[in-house]
Amino acid sequence: MLKTSLLSKVLLVCFLVPSFLVQAEEVNVYSYRQPFLVEPLFNVFTKETGVKVNVVFAKKGMAERLAREGEHSPSDILLTTDISRLVELHDQDLLQVVQSEILEQSVPEKFQSNDNTWYALTMRVRNIYSSKRLGNIDISYEDLADPKYKGRVCTRSGKHAYNVALVASMIAEHGEEKTLTWLEKFKKNLARKPQGSDRGQVQAIHQNLCDLSLGNSYYFGNMLHDEKQKVWADAVNINFPNQSNRGAHVNISGVAMAKHAPNQKNALALMEFLVSEKAQHMYAETNMEYPVREGVAVSELVNSWGKFNADELSLETIAKNRKAAIMLLDKAQFDL
Amino acid sequence: MSWILALVLMAPVLVMLISGIDSSQELFTHLWQTVLPTYISNTLLLSLLVVTFSLLFGVPAAAIISQTNVIGKKYLRWLLMLPLAMPAYLVAYLYTDLLDYAGPVQRFLRTSFGWESPLDYWFFDVRTLFGASIMIALVLFPYVYMLVRTAFECQDQHLIRASRSLGFSLSQSFIRVSLPLARPAIAVSASLVLMETLADFATVQYFAVNTLTTAIYDTWLEYGDLSTANAIASILMLFILFAVVAEQRARAGQRHQSNRLNNQIEAKRLTLFQQIIAVSFCWFLVVAGFLLPLLLLIVMAIDYATFEQLNELITSGLNSLQVAFYTASIATIIAILLALFKRLHFSTWRHYPIQISGFGYAIPGTVLAMAMLATLGPIDHWLNDLAKLFELKSPGLILSGSIFAIIFALVVRFAAIANGTIISGVDQIPASLDLAPASLGVKLKQSLLKVHLPLLKSSILVAWLLVFVEAMKELPAVLLLRPFNFETLSTQIYQLISDERLEQGALGALLIVLFGLLPIVYLNKKESNV
Amino acid sequence: MTVLLTLHQLSVALQQKPILSDVNLVLEAGDILGLVGPSGCGKTTLLNTIAGFVEQHKGSISIAPNMCIDAENIIAPEQRNIGMIFQDYALFPHLTVQKNIAFGLKDVNKLEQETRIETLLSLLKLTDLSERYPHQLSGGQQQRVAIARALAPQPKLLLLDEPFSNIDARLRNELMLELRSLLKQLNITAIFVTHNKDEVFSFADQIAVMHQGHVLQYGTPFDVFHQPCNWQVADFLQIGSWLPVIEVHEEYLTAIGSISLENKTIIKEDYSQQYLLLKPQHITLEPDAQANVLIEYVRITEHGFHYLVSSLTQDKSLSFNQLSFYSHLTFSQGEKIAIGIASHDYQLFNK
Repeated sequence: MLKTSLLSKVLLVCFLVPSFLVQAEEVNVYSYRQPFLVEPLFNVFTKETGVKVNVVFAKKGMAERLAREGEHSPSDILLTTDISRLVELHDQDLLQVVQSEILEQSVPEKFQSNDNTWYALTMRVRNIYSSKRLGNIDISYEDLADPKYKGRVCTRSGKHAYNVALVASMIAEHGEEKTLTWLEKFKKNLARKPQGSDRGQVQAIHQNLCDLSLGNSYYFGNMLHDEKQKVWADAVNINFPNQSNRGAHVNISGVAMAKHAPNQKNALALMEFLVSEKAQHMYAETNMEYPVREGVAVSELVNSWGKFNADELSLETIAKNRKAAIMLLDKAQFDL
Repeated sequence: MSWILALVLMAPVLVMLISGIDSSQELFTHLWQTVLPTYISNTLLLSLLVVTFSLLFGVPAAAIISQTNVIGKKYLRWLLMLPLAMPAYLVAYLYTDLLDYAGPVQRFLRTSFGWESPLDYWFFDVRTLFGASIMIALVLFPYVYMLVRTAFECQDQHLIRASRSLGFSLSQSFIRVSLPLARPAIAVSASLVLMETLADFATVQYFAVNTLTTAIYDTWLEYGDLSTANAIASILMLFILFAVVAEQRARAGQRHQSNRLNNQIEAKRLTLFQQIIAVSFCWFLVVAGFLLPLLLLIVMAIDYATFEQLNELITSGLNSLQVAFYTASIATIIAILLALFKRLHFSTWRHYPIQISGFGYAIPGTVLAMAMLATLGPIDHWLNDLAKLFELKSPGLILSGSIFAIIFALVVRFAAIANGTIISGVDQIPASLDLAPASLGVKLKQSLLKVHLPLLKSSILVAWLLVFVEAMKELPAVLLLRPFNFETLSTQIYQLISDERLEQGALGALLIVLFGLLPIVYLNKKESNV
Repeated sequence: MTVLLTLHQLSVALQQKPILSDVNLVLEAGDILGLVGPSGCGKTTLLNTIAGFVEQHKGSISIAPNMCIDAENIIAPEQRNIGMIFQDYALFPHLTVQKNIAFGLKDVNKLEQETRIETLLSLLKLTDLSERYPHQLSGGQQQRVAIARALAPQPKLLLLDEPFSNIDARLRNELMLELRSLLKQLNITAIFVTHNKDEVFSFADQIAVMHQGHVLQYGTPFDVFHQPCNWQVADFLQIGSWLPVIEVHEEYLTAIGSISLENKTIIKEDYSQQYLLLKPQHITLEPDAQANVLIEYVRITEHGFHYLVSSLTQDKSLSFNQLSFYSHLTFSQGEKIAIGIASHDYQLFNK
């Protein structure tokens, strides 16, 4: 009996393994970014180069997975949705150095690591959406703790990467103690417990549950193009906070090459493609993001939101403060 | 040999426990001082509420169907099982959509009454711990309903007659005799519900309820401390273990079954008023737990379905089927081996392999996935090193990097279901059949194939179907363990739900539900033929 | 003697099949009635109808002093104050012996409850077992608990469904006597059902023989045994063997001799063949006559050897093959001997 079950297990493994024995050119991507955002880009890449792109999407846990897989990891390229993830990968020694003229020239200094391990692809702003009911306002992140907005603020989970990065930047600006106070007051202003997605908050504003919410810039564009969500977006103004002082908090989506990438050549090709004009243009037009490549214009819609000052805080510092940010969020019991 | 199997199934849990020993004191203290107490109290409260509601829904339903002449009994009997086909996170989303501020119900109320803003009226908020517990209970109560109903129907009806001859009416007899005798079934189903609740992650997340699972996730992924995460997971395990053991001990001294064949149950004739209540109650459960969500899904699908979606669905649908098929088959085979081992060996230790292997059910999918990686990863590395030694091409991560990991995880997780079903099937085989073939000169192996297996046919099929459905619905483990280009229906749906875009995935959701209906329909057909 | 139970034209049908037809019975207080009959005759259904678990569609049940149950006035079992002991005892598995017995005592005050329980425990020798659970008791002990439980609420009538069928043959007699003396002591009226005719003599005051939903005969066991009113009663009670007879002029011819027309009781019914009910004690050995029977079967009993013989006659209308008689003389199987009929009050039946 042992023999039969062992046999069936062996057969099973043989059955499942074939995916790795395919010989065609390909590149394997671990992506934090959602499928519908990156698949169009990959499709163009494959059409141009003939290299197949295999993707695993996950909301969490990629670094851990990479670490476990070690040198046998099949991943070539890592796409993240924020800086902290990139730095985490870097700090855990999961990336390799990529020397590329194209990358050097396409990506500005402040949007890449200083050791050529990771490169930003797009920039995103953490906006504050405000209800049109409030009219035009000039708002800062600090204002979210202002008692006058009591019960009128909505946000997704404080522990989501985008918010953590924001808190990290607050720590860099104000220090831990003041940031904790800010968080506690912010929490008091919440209309409901942090829940849902950035879009869900805009929906809440539309429903008159709150007047202010945090959200990334590109969602605004996406919502305006969605038949169900357009009406939400029409109910709000998009604001770039802290224009009178340090500037709006920005984050990046980025790319890096895995340390043990089996398809290095293809991986490099993909990276270079993603910073190419064509890809950057797609990012701008289709995803409504701010491309990092200089000279590539933002989409018309994004343009209409106006120019803004970005917080010059170094991305590395944001990443460094991440853990402290999480601890503060726990201390403030922000999500509870 | 079955010891090996059992230990293999237990391996991930052991790895998790061992890893937890290494946890960080500092981190633990920080968590304890900030959020852990709330997580724990939320978990306890959620468990308590879900179990309570499930019992409140399931036990009366079981009583009504088995003991009374409620109108439509024949249909309600199986209709009440349908909510099992609905994944909880789906129901959660649909109801939130329905009952939310912007949902049709409140909009209708506002237009009817002329209210303008939330300040003008009170409407209950679905997205709370209370709301979450009702949602989860609505899809889990069928476990209670099924097990308790079976218990009622297997009771010796002479006991009821005896009670009546001693002066108690039918209803009173039910409360004084049938109900206490059904206690084991109630306890078992409650613990099943408890385990399912603790394993849930998507629903509570959607409802912004932070439980111990949140803590585990955070500790692992935000704080990056796997050991401490495992330590918290171990605490969760202990809690479950404690609950299950306490329940078993409480009924250890008593015998609850009669050994007689059941007689016909004398159906209590309900008055008109009682009929109305009974019928409404049952239909409420069916509508709320299944029909209404189904309707909402269908409406969504009609509004938003496109051909592209159908295309995508084929791939993810096939993946779901593949995973579910393998999981169900392997789990069933293992259950058969373990159950027969328990039956045919006579050492005192024979119970343990199968009991141990069933433990995986209590482990949340997330935790299991983590443990899986921790277990299979090293094995993969070892295999690769071995390959290098023999100068063979490195096979890569054939275990942890393929759907082997998912299937292994799901088999570990759902072994309990298969085990339980097969064991009760094996228990029904008279002991004399074990010995009879031998007396006719037939070898053990042959007698197993020719005698025992055919008798187990229906249990095998039921076990297979149940595991199949659970594997179809499973979410967290698949999310964390999947290889490249691998989407299942559940992951696709989950993705969309997180983006408030379920409409795009309504078709896929319908598929999950349809697959979930299969075993339910089959089980009922089988029953009505008995 | 007062009458406790009267059944009048009681008829019961289950799923359109008639099970009981026109049953009439009168039972006096303090009497024990045995319902006997072959399987399927309706005796258990009758018991269940009296208890209230089955509804009659015609007829009435009257229980003194003033309970009358008929098709218009159906009284629920729990209100009839009729105790029942089931064949499988139906003890509540989740309760101790003590709690089982106390189960029906809800309307009784605490002190009285304790007294009754104590009395019953000692009467039925269960005092040491009061804290045990049913699965920890032997069959005999379980039956005692069932009895105690049924008796605790002091019912007017006690119904017992095959109470001795699960009992070891050796203990059976002892138990029957004990139970009977207990019922008499407490002056309890009882009806019990059995398929074993031997039990009625030790246990019952009255016997009702049933067949296919009818009560064939009702009376004391001795009366019924001596004067069976039709062949089914006689057959079921195994009173004797059946000897085919043919009427010829003034005599009845049988395969082992002829009998005269006097001293006989004829029960005529619509069957063609007449039979003599022949009890073993009325068979004589005729050592000088020509052999007329063949020994088919021999066994030994306390009464000597028990022989089953078949006739040797060629006449098919007179032949038989299971005639039973006892003797201290030894015959072997296959031996042919001659027997005859002693003069007695013949009972002839048509069947």
